[in-house]
Amino acid sequence: MQASAQSLAPAVQAVDLRKSFGDLHAVDGVSFALPAGRIYGLLGPNGSGKTTLIRMLTGLGRPTSGVATVLGVAMPSRSNLARIGYMTQSDGIYSELTAVENVRFFAAMYGVRDSAAAEAALAVVDLAGRAGTLASQLSGGLRRRLSLACALVHRPPVLFLDEPTVGVDPALRVQFWTYFHELARDGVTIVVSSHVMDEADRCDELLFMRDGRVIAQGTSEELRARAGTQDLEAAFLHFSVDREPAT
Amino acid sequence: MSLRRVIATLRRLVQELHRDRRSMALLFVAPVVLTGLMAFVLRGQQLTPVSAVVVNEAGPVGNVIVGALDGALRTDGGTAVGAPDRVGAEAAVRSGTASIAIIVPSDFVARLTGGDQPNLVVITPGLEPTADSSQLVALQRALATAVAQSLPDAGARLPRLTVETLYGSPDDDVVDHLAPVFLGFFAYFFVYILTGISFLRERIGGTLERLLATPVSRGEIVLGYSLGFGLFATIQVVVLLAWTLLDLAIPAVGPVPAFSVGLAVPVAGSPFLAFLVVMLLALGAVSLGILLSTFARTELQVVQFIPLVIVPQALLSGVLFPVNSMPEILQAIARVLPLTYATDGLRQVVIRGADLTYGALQLDLLVLAAFVAVFAVLASATIRREVV
Repeated sequence: MQASAQSLAPAVQAVDLRKSFGDLHAVDGVSFALPAGRIYGLLGPNGSGKTTLIRMLTGLGRPTSGVATVLGVAMPSRSNLARIGYMTQSDGIYSELTAVENVRFFAAMYGVRDSAAAEAALAVVDLAGRAGTLASQLSGGLRRRLSLACALVHRPPVLFLDEPTVGVDPALRVQFWTYFHELARDGVTIVVSSHVMDEADRCDELLFMRDGRVIAQGTSEELRARAGTQDLEAAFLHFSVDREPAT
Repeated sequence: MSLRRVIATLRRLVQELHRDRRSMALLFVAPVVLTGLMAFVLRGQQLTPVSAVVVNEAGPVGNVIVGALDGALRTDGGTAVGAPDRVGAEAAVRSGTASIAIIVPSDFVARLTGGDQPNLVVITPGLEPTADSSQLVALQRALATAVAQSLPDAGARLPRLTVETLYGSPDDDVVDHLAPVFLGFFAYFFVYILTGISFLRERIGGTLERLLATPVSRGEIVLGYSLGFGLFATIQVVVLLAWTLLDLAIPAVGPVPAFSVGLAVPVAGSPFLAFLVVMLLALGAVSLGILLSTFARTELQVVQFIPLVIVPQALLSGVLFPVNSMPEILQAIARVLPLTYATDGLRQVVIRGADLTYGALQLDLLVLAAFVAVFAVLASATIRREVV
């Protein structure tokens, strides 16, 4: 994993990113530079452009204009994908395969040669005991864990998680955040999207998104102080009304 | 029972279905188009003019008959030309310069004048039974005219035709001709369905999105799919080929009478070449499945492509009706369908006994390989990282 060497240059950078589908401006001029080794929370309601933004940062979607850069490489870049982990909103795992077969498959796709990597990734998400279970027979929460293991198997220095805790019970949610903090401590940059404000305090830094724009950026305390409220939800509404440019 | 609920169910179905354009088209447009196409194929069948080579062993009277036959055939655009001997006549049919060979035996005149029914030996290619029988019908009609003209006192006694075939045997039944061709058709069909549905699952299940977030290339995906389904196609083709060619006699045991296992279709050429033809076709079907899965949102829609994509190919590519007798425009379509070349290739190998030195088989294999390449490129192009 990448550590302090990367911390000077931004791990993830967006320069005036825009994506339009006809008249709809899904992402409407987003710019930010995120230093490495921290957890960034992309917060906003459904339809605010979070997934579209993440898809451009991972190179899955081509921006209408603007540039997305990950670890100094402009996206889309196929080779750079080996350094990026992406957990999609849907599980994106093969139901007819067992847990360990799924992880092994993605390990091969990422070009991982270490044969123990799949088992290690399963251990990280506490799924080692269910390695031989068919994915179709796993419960929803276990499938989310398996999906996370598939995104971690190549030990990427940058990780994009699109609504990782949707449909996940509170106990597992706490566990997920424990993993995320462990990874960040090892120098991994994590961008996690959510529409639930109560997860925001677990992030190092927040980006509020609304109507395809980043309306505010900063730590939870900073944003609350600037909005003059203790409540993050109220702060989000405050910035929504003001349409204050991101700082 | 509540009528309201029944009617609500009815209304919901109408609401759903009339928004599903594709299902509507399938219900009303597809049957019209398909039966129209079938009518076009059947009614538009042109009789290929008979170009006969005649070996006359019956002397001057035979020459008169050959001349009259030529005249009768020419009214339908055909010809009858002389050949020195049977070997030469067969060579003409084999090379395609003649569609049929006729031998007028030396006892022809004696039988005719003696009141017996005279006999003619007719040699057809034997590759496509439907095409051969239409040739025989045209020949019989011309013969009736020719005999009546040249020997008016013969009482219009028609000669009996002894039919021989250049390839296969005249005793071959429909199964012997259709089974090898169906082999290709089924492999094509099932591999398409399997790949189409399996790739659609990748698209709608989110695994393709995830796959494209890895450094994998589109070519790697298509090649991997081709090898994977190619493996299953191999097993399927081996099983089908064995079943088609096998004639395993099981002796009677107790009350169970003796029977045989397999279709016992005689194969003139190498089963390995037949296998090669079907494999190339199956590989094309893998890419076709990936390609068409782009245009489907549900597994049902993959199945809906069958009447639109697969059935017309079965009608046009010579599986059931000979390509050469179809209207020009349909022949032009048939020439761009991979199944046409696989069908011809299988006939060449199984019935004609073609090996790799035969130009016709070389062409079939070459075109099939080109289809595999083109479809693979098209399929890769549909796997875009940019999917909305």
